[in-house]
Amino acid sequence: MVAGTAARLLARRGHRVLCLDSDLMPGLARSLGLGGGADVASPLGDAAERGEDGRWRLKKGVGPVRAVRRYAAVAPDGVQLLQSGKLPPEGTAAIMSSLQAYYKVVHRLPRARTFADWAMVGDLPAGPRQAASNWAPFAETFLILVEPTWQSALTARRVARVVRSREGSGTVSLVANKVAEPTDVGRVEELVGEAVVGAIPADERVREAERAGAALLDHDPSSPAARAIERLVDELASGVPPRAIASAK
Amino acid sequence: MKIAVAGKGGVGKTTVSGTVARSLARAGHDVLALDADANPMLGVSLGVGPEETDRLAAVRQAIDEGEMEHQRTIDELIDGCGTDAPDGVRLVVVSRIDRADPPCP
Repeated sequence: MVAGTAARLLARRGHRVLCLDSDLMPGLARSLGLGGGADVASPLGDAAERGEDGRWRLKKGVGPVRAVRRYAAVAPDGVQLLQSGKLPPEGTAAIMSSLQAYYKVVHRLPRARTFADWAMVGDLPAGPRQAASNWAPFAETFLILVEPTWQSALTARRVARVVRSREGSGTVSLVANKVAEPTDVGRVEELVGEAVVGAIPADERVREAERAGAALLDHDPSSPAARAIERLVDELASGVPPRAIASAK
Repeated sequence: MKIAVAGKGGVGKTTVSGTVARSLARAGHDVLALDADANPMLGVSLGVGPEETDRLAAVRQAIDEGEMEHQRTIDELIDGCGTDAPDGVRLVVVSRIDRADPPCP
């Protein structure tokens, strides 16, 4: 929800925005306002092939620019959404070509001059696995969302540790999420052991949007959570080009 | 009985797993709780405590770092790598991701 809302807010502020979804579970397309129809199992399926050595490679002529032009969906406010794929009943083997293509494309994004002034917003699945496997090499900032619970704090510690263990990786910023009590921000900082850069309140309007499968900005752009994300985006956008990655829970 | 709990992140899998495990133990069953999540949290739900959950030696890392020998049998693995949780539940953590993977050569 934060990634999709932040992406659209950046677009409304005049940035060209590329949203990068490496979560095998649905969610980001709906948060952007595209609905469930955009959740394609294998969007980059014909972009990669196996070489004679058995290794996956991008097909000739497919690079980051062509991949976005050909395979990205266009979300409201002009946000481009490139997805790695969604888990089909047959399992990940059935979408391996799409996953391989996505991984190779995102690793070439930082060197693609076309996207040098674009904002990129990545959405990683919960937990440290994809951060460890470097699924967001484009990220200059890792936003780690933390709820005021021990489980969430331990996860945040682990994700932060993993990100910081990679030489040359982005910086880590923590954001308190689902803040309900006046003491929750302090509790998050105490549990994780470091300061947060922002706080998003627990907001019934978010739950309503998620139940309806709608974008928060379409459901209620003036909700407290939307306003808090707006403030966060404005802080991020003060460094141009803003490149963020949201990793929740 | 053998139960695997699955579902989307944040829906409460770990809370349900921990509560079911302890309820079964209270009902008199011998219970083995296996945390197969790469971000293991089952210890918290079982009542081991958050700091202990974070400290629990994951099997793979312990072997990688030479702190443990490979166990020859499943029983040895559960004895050697597990932890006692409340109500007599035995908890084994399968793995834990602690650092970035090395880049491909």
